Amino acid sequence: MKARTGLAVAVAAGLALTLTACRGQDDEVSTDVGVTADACPSAVNTDNGCIYLGVISDLTTGPFAPLAVPITDAQKAFWKRVNDAGGIGGYDIDVTTYVRDNKYDPQVHNQVYQEIKGKVLALAQTLGSPTTAAILDDLKANNIVSAPASWTSGWDFEDVIIESGANYCFESMNAVDYAADNFQAKSVMAVHWPGDYGADAAAGVKVAADARGLTFTDVETQPGPDNQAGAIQEIVTKKPDLVIITTGPTDAATVIGNAAAAGYTGKFIGTSPTWNPALLESPAADAFRALYLQSGPWQSFGANTPGHEAMRAAVGNVQPNDGYTAGWVWSYPLKAALEKAADDGDLTRTGLLNAVKSLTTVDYEGMLPPEAGNYAPGGASAYRASVISKVDDTAPTGVSVVKDLFVGPTAQAYDLSKPCWP
Amino acid sequence: MTSLAEQTRTGAPPEPGGRRRSRAARGRPRLYLSYGQDMALLNTRPKRTAVIGLVILAALLPFSMPDDLLHLLALGFVATIGAIGLNLVTGYAGQISLGHAFFLGVGAYTAAVISGDPDGRTIGFGITFLPLWLLAAGLVAGLTGLVVAPLAVRLRGLYLAIVTLGLVFIGLHIFREWDSVTGGPGLGRPGAIPEMFGINFAVDGPAMTRDQKLYLLTLVLLLIFALPAANLARSKVGRAFAAVRDRDMAASIIGVSLTRYKLLAFAISSFYAGCAGALLTMVIGFFDPTSWNLQLSIEYLAMVLIGGAGTISGSIMGALFITLLPRLTRELPALMPFISDSVTDMPNVFQVETMLYGLLIIGFLIFEPRGLYGIWVRCRNYWRSWPFSY
Repeated sequence: MKARTGLAVAVAAGLALTLTACRGQDDEVSTDVGVTADACPSAVNTDNGCIYLGVISDLTTGPFAPLAVPITDAQKAFWKRVNDAGGIGGYDIDVTTYVRDNKYDPQVHNQVYQEIKGKVLALAQTLGSPTTAAILDDLKANNIVSAPASWTSGWDFEDVIIESGANYCFESMNAVDYAADNFQAKSVMAVHWPGDYGADAAAGVKVAADARGLTFTDVETQPGPDNQAGAIQEIVTKKPDLVIITTGPTDAATVIGNAAAAGYTGKFIGTSPTWNPALLESPAADAFRALYLQSGPWQSFGANTPGHEAMRAAVGNVQPNDGYTAGWVWSYPLKAALEKAADDGDLTRTGLLNAVKSLTTVDYEGMLPPEAGNYAPGGASAYRASVISKVDDTAPTGVSVVKDLFVGPTAQAYDLSKPCWP
Repeated sequence: MTSLAEQTRTGAPPEPGGRRRSRAARGRPRLYLSYGQDMALLNTRPKRTAVIGLVILAALLPFSMPDDLLHLLALGFVATIGAIGLNLVTGYAGQISLGHAFFLGVGAYTAAVISGDPDGRTIGFGITFLPLWLLAAGLVAGLTGLVVAPLAVRLRGLYLAIVTLGLVFIGLHIFREWDSVTGGPGLGRPGAIPEMFGINFAVDGPAMTRDQKLYLLTLVLLLIFALPAANLARSKVGRAFAAVRDRDMAASIIGVSLTRYKLLAFAISSFYAGCAGALLTMVIGFFDPTSWNLQLSIEYLAMVLIGGAGTISGSIMGALFITLLPRLTRELPALMPFISDSVTDMPNVFQVETMLYGLLIIGFLIFEPRGLYGIWVRCRNYWRSWPFSY
């Protein structure tokens, strides 16, 4: 009996050892995970190897699907253009094999991430803040560089996250500065969703209001058009000169339409995800034309920079949407990092992370200035300029720029030594 | 049948060779030779062999499977603990509860607060000793269940379902607003940190990865939680639960205290839910207050129904099925190359994957209303009478 148990243990241990050995990865000098010498499944350059990038986005039932689908589509077009130009360092880039839907749920996000993480070098997109927070520790532990699809100020403090454009916090500071300079606003109200998006922006509004001597009111409102009555009431009774609104398009239409109908005549400035061109066909369209300006981290779909033009050519004949613009812009830093890593001869995960840390400029083809791509650790290097647009029925996405990339005095002076919120 | 059973209990001669009476007769799996054997947890030899075999197989799996599948199975094991809890109150005691997500959430936050980082953004006491926070999570949720249970004494059926539904919404509101504990919506907080005897299960170790460790941990915990539940089900309490489920008036006439057993069912079920919620966040690592919603409750009900109401093995099968289903639906479209994988096309794989989930559940309930357990019983009966099965 003893002998049999011993044998069984030995067999089990042996089995475990061999199988554990199978789990390991091949050790090569310059590449580790997610980079193969074989060509990509649908390669443009069949002689090239393949770099696999993962995409985790909100593709079906989640709240951001209308934006996330164009973002993902634009990224596909972006990397196809890179491949058409010969790829990077003898490799094509594949962003189509490992695309997953997170349904905007941290648990699903984590699951699909676990599924693909052993097969990709980096993430070309990880959409949402709570979702990305669910995998952030793992990203850091495995040195997986990731391009986010959100503009939270927390990303400036994570080495593995390569964000683009001003965060919500700076975007709102600039919006308040703009209104103080141009409409002599004396009071400001932040109407915002709870969480990383709305609260981050509201934190920026508060900083700017304090710096510019405006009176500040904070109104948190829950998502859903039927939850906006309280916010509308606040606006109509307090009559602030300026309302910075950070919600989704439907809620914004409810708030702005009803506030205008109740006689409110101040200005609204919405952060970029607040806008949707379809609002111009909504009952609130006239209120938007009269009262609304939009802030944003870069110019919208129809702008005339080489990057915008390349994007429009690459995505083809589509319904204009700034999801395309965002997906396209967010891809430049990763491209720059891959090129740097390939030049250094180190396309491992660590190599790519080192390349990111050494980036001080990124060629955004004019969509953002090169210094926007400064990934030196800490908040001092964070990019602070944003744009202000007005409603314009003739523009492809319904807005055109009134003030190009600028940094207001508040954002300029602000010491970003920790995330604005929380 | 009764007379046959009587006969076998009293009149069957002892087996030759001096074997114990409790052993089953060879080839007659349902022939019980003693009351003790009839009541045993694993009352037939095939059952015993199969369970031991399965446990050994499960214990060997982490050395041959990729980490992502282990992660998923660990989630499945934890979901099983929650499903067993719901099955006790809904399957055994017949009290429909839509409030399971609330109890899962209560357990999750209790554990996260006890084991959380004291210097973090959210409240935490830094006590990472696993048995402590697990027990606390279960107890707090169990007590909450006990507070809610008097409602169940007054109500039954759809009315109880509606009241427990209210629990989910109240809970969701509290979780959304109590930022210092939950981190607030859109931000969330890290899950419970599992540490025991100097081992941290939530980080990669020198010998094993995080997922391998968590898999083994959750497997052991599943066994620890499933055994008492199975025991409970076949004891006096379990029979009282069944009596309440089948006809509460009749049960109270024969002397089963409805108050006592309904309270008990809710308290035990919530205890299991609390533990499951804590473990769930431990495996996932990070969670958002909006996760504890009605959909989660429905998912657990689906586990119980698909697995088979009123069986522990059914809960295990149902929970694993529901947990693995999304992964399955993600793999399925690969077999259907005519479906586009481009996000802008209609329909694309992501939409098909979302719909398949619903279709599979509907299909299941139409074609096998007794659940996975029913399929298993059919297979077993077929082979039992083989080659003369009809």
